[in-house]
Amino acid sequence: MSTQPAIRVTGLHKSYGDFEAVRGIDFEVAQGEVFGLLGPNGAGKTTTVEILEGLRSRTSGQVSVLGYDPANDTMAVKDRIGVSLQATNLPEKMKVLEAAELFAAFYSRATDITSLLKRLQLWEKRGAFYSTLSGGQKQRLALALAMINEPQVVFLDEPTTGLDPQVRLEIHSLIEELRDQKRTILLTTHYIEEAERLCHRVAIVDEGKVIAIGTPRELQQKILGHSRVEICTLSPMPPDLPRDWPAEFPIHFSDDRKKLTVPAPKPARAVVDLVKWLDAAGAELDDLHIKRPTLEDVFIELTGKSLRD
Amino acid sequence: MKAYLAYIKSTLLLTTRDRLVVFFNFLFPLIFFVAFGEGFGARTSTGAMSQVLTMVLVIGVLGSGFFGAGMRATVERESGILRRFKVAPITPAPIVTAGLVTGWVLFLPTVIFFILIAKLRYGMPFPEHIISLLLMVSAGVLAFRSLGAIIASVVNSMAESQIIIQLMYLPMLMLSGATVPLNIMPDWLQIVAQFLPSTHLYLGMQGILVRNESLAQNLTSVGSLVLTAIIGTVLSVKLFRWEKEDKFRPSAKFWVLGVLAPFIVMGVWQSQTRSNLKKTEILAREMRRTQNWLIRDARIFVGDGRVLESSSILVRNGKIVEIFEGKSPEAKTLNAEAVDASGKTVMPGLIDSGVQLMLPGTGTPDMRQDRLVKAMERELAAYLYCGVTAVRSAPDPLGLAPGIQARLTSGELLGAELSLGTVPTTPSLVAGELAAGRTDILKDTLLQQVVRPQSMEILRRMAQNRTPNPDAKLPAPSFPLPPSSLSGLPLLPHGPALHRELKLWVTSGISTKDALQAATFTAAKAIGASGRLGLVQPGYEATLLIVEGNPLEDISATERVWFVLFKGEHVRREDLFENYDKAKDK
Repeated sequence: MSTQPAIRVTGLHKSYGDFEAVRGIDFEVAQGEVFGLLGPNGAGKTTTVEILEGLRSRTSGQVSVLGYDPANDTMAVKDRIGVSLQATNLPEKMKVLEAAELFAAFYSRATDITSLLKRLQLWEKRGAFYSTLSGGQKQRLALALAMINEPQVVFLDEPTTGLDPQVRLEIHSLIEELRDQKRTILLTTHYIEEAERLCHRVAIVDEGKVIAIGTPRELQQKILGHSRVEICTLSPMPPDLPRDWPAEFPIHFSDDRKKLTVPAPKPARAVVDLVKWLDAAGAELDDLHIKRPTLEDVFIELTGKSLRD
Repeated sequence: MKAYLAYIKSTLLLTTRDRLVVFFNFLFPLIFFVAFGEGFGARTSTGAMSQVLTMVLVIGVLGSGFFGAGMRATVERESGILRRFKVAPITPAPIVTAGLVTGWVLFLPTVIFFILIAKLRYGMPFPEHIISLLLMVSAGVLAFRSLGAIIASVVNSMAESQIIIQLMYLPMLMLSGATVPLNIMPDWLQIVAQFLPSTHLYLGMQGILVRNESLAQNLTSVGSLVLTAIIGTVLSVKLFRWEKEDKFRPSAKFWVLGVLAPFIVMGVWQSQTRSNLKKTEILAREMRRTQNWLIRDARIFVGDGRVLESSSILVRNGKIVEIFEGKSPEAKTLNAEAVDASGKTVMPGLIDSGVQLMLPGTGTPDMRQDRLVKAMERELAAYLYCGVTAVRSAPDPLGLAPGIQARLTSGELLGAELSLGTVPTTPSLVAGELAAGRTDILKDTLLQQVVRPQSMEILRRMAQNRTPNPDAKLPAPSFPLPPSSLSGLPLLPHGPALHRELKLWVTSGISTKDALQAATFTAAKAIGASGRLGLVQPGYEATLLIVEGNPLEDISATERVWFVLFKGEHVRREDLFENYDKAKDK
């Protein structure tokens, strides 16, 4: 197995007239890696991915997918990749199996359709018209079509947006299967859990630029590194602080003093200390949790905006 | 290759599941089929049925091209379907090809379907050149589907596609002959129509279905369509858009006109030669000649002396098919148009065996030839007006007659059949009468209907200058030779002179039966048309004269022309002089 990255993007720019959708994006995806592009709507994720897929032209920069430039060797790239678009639409009266067979005919290599459809639980629905499929089934079909040519690289653009939580979990486990098969996957999403759960590495994208890149853990640690402890009580807490509480971890109390929040590098230790202190003062505990820093926090820290705008 | 076959298969499946396609391919043309069939009298004329079939198939091709191909691709692009295909390693070629192949495959059953209905319900015979027909239709389908594909590529929205489609579809529907017959349109409008591809599809199909021509005789039509299909296919691949976002420069939309380039050429060519306009006129005439007639309850003078009382004549496709003696069958059961001829006499068309269309000396090379030709054409029309359906004339000194003969044969021109040859020098009785100074001929009612008012004036003045010679004896009738009026000589107008000749024959002692036989059966032999003209008998041409009354009792009944059937066409006598008398006299 060669050590060439499956995808390499250098200095990517894309402008639509005056509007710059992508203002200089660099990243690499190694073979067999699951790479996430995380960012809010309009960040330029889909534009970037579509440039990689050969759907869109770029204004400037270098792009290499499996060693080919999608602008020059478009057909070579398209033949080797699998794509699930953000919005896939197929003819209403097309049957599931017909769709699979049609797309299989476009590629120089095609997988066994029967086992693919079975694996994606679409075999029983193979004679159904596209318009009769549920949202989840349509997304599974989109995934099936992305896999139809046994691609070396798979691009999944917002694969679970708009789906029910159960369906989302289904799709996640399917993607995990792909990951276990050691395929290279480039995934765009605005769901943090998705990025955290599925990706080896994540690039956080905002307003056309990559603002942070690394494994989810690295990102969390790099930016904040701290968990937070939150405790709620039924009656106001004591006016003072626990004895010998370190000053570098300030406890923040709500106005009615029924809730406290405190950064804690060793959250379990802090919990024990705080509970002892509250218990000694006779305060009744209502709720308690340890919040590990999420990518949302990373995002907010870096951009000042919430991901879920 | 795999991709092409897979896409074709997919498109075929999807199209057969689309209800709109069924409507446009079958139901919509069927509505026209029934409406036109009844409206054009297809039941009683095979020519009319072929015409209706042509029209309906052209309507079908237009619908398939503009609405089938035109809208489908736009819909798929608008709904993002094509975008998903853009991701795969295919070019637009399989997609465009599938659209063409599907359109073609699904239209052929329509053609067979309508041919079968035409045959089963209207008795239209199976087209002689069925392969040529299918090839012509195929060229049409491919051409119009590629046009539709181009429209689909260049429009930016469904709304725009609707506008552009209607802008192209409606004029083509209305002007190509598919809904409004070409021959009733004024010449300038017919020229405009020659710029439309649909007109050439129509003319080509009409040639094959109505005139029983083969593809080889309609090469310009099919060639221009094939050329359009090729250019159209290439352009629609080049201009193909997968997504709404790939917008065109507005100037690119003019590429559509590039596809129509062959037809701009055709239109310009036609405006010069007008060959298609002539073809249209000829076709219209041929169609009228396929009309089925049942002439009922008439007295029939067969031509060879026999007389049948109260009989009926069935005419099909320009020939006499059967004679029913006694009670006439119902016209409906025979799919024929009924002509109630009770009290009237049917005879073969009269033949004048000696005339001069143009006297030596009347035409000189410096005169305008078209005027001379027109004058001769009018003379031949006058004969037909009078029920004289064939004449033998001396050739004209300028040699213009053969050209007229050709146009009469082709059907471009309507007039008495012209046979050129030597004309007897022995004077006719009517000429003798004039030489004797007697100008009673001018009182004949038929003459007054045929001669123009201005010319009538001239004739009267000429007559006044004649001094009657009471001692002059009339020559003897040429019987048993057929009568020659020698019309063309001064004061002997073409047409009514023969009737006067027959009157004078009878006055000289020839029986009416013998006179009539000489002017029909014998005359037909003399011009070499025996077996075809001269008898009212099955197998003979349907060129007949119906007069009021009984000429066997009173020979002057021949002047009371009631109905003229010329090669199966009912001659509209009142319209015969339309093209000639409108022009100002010099």
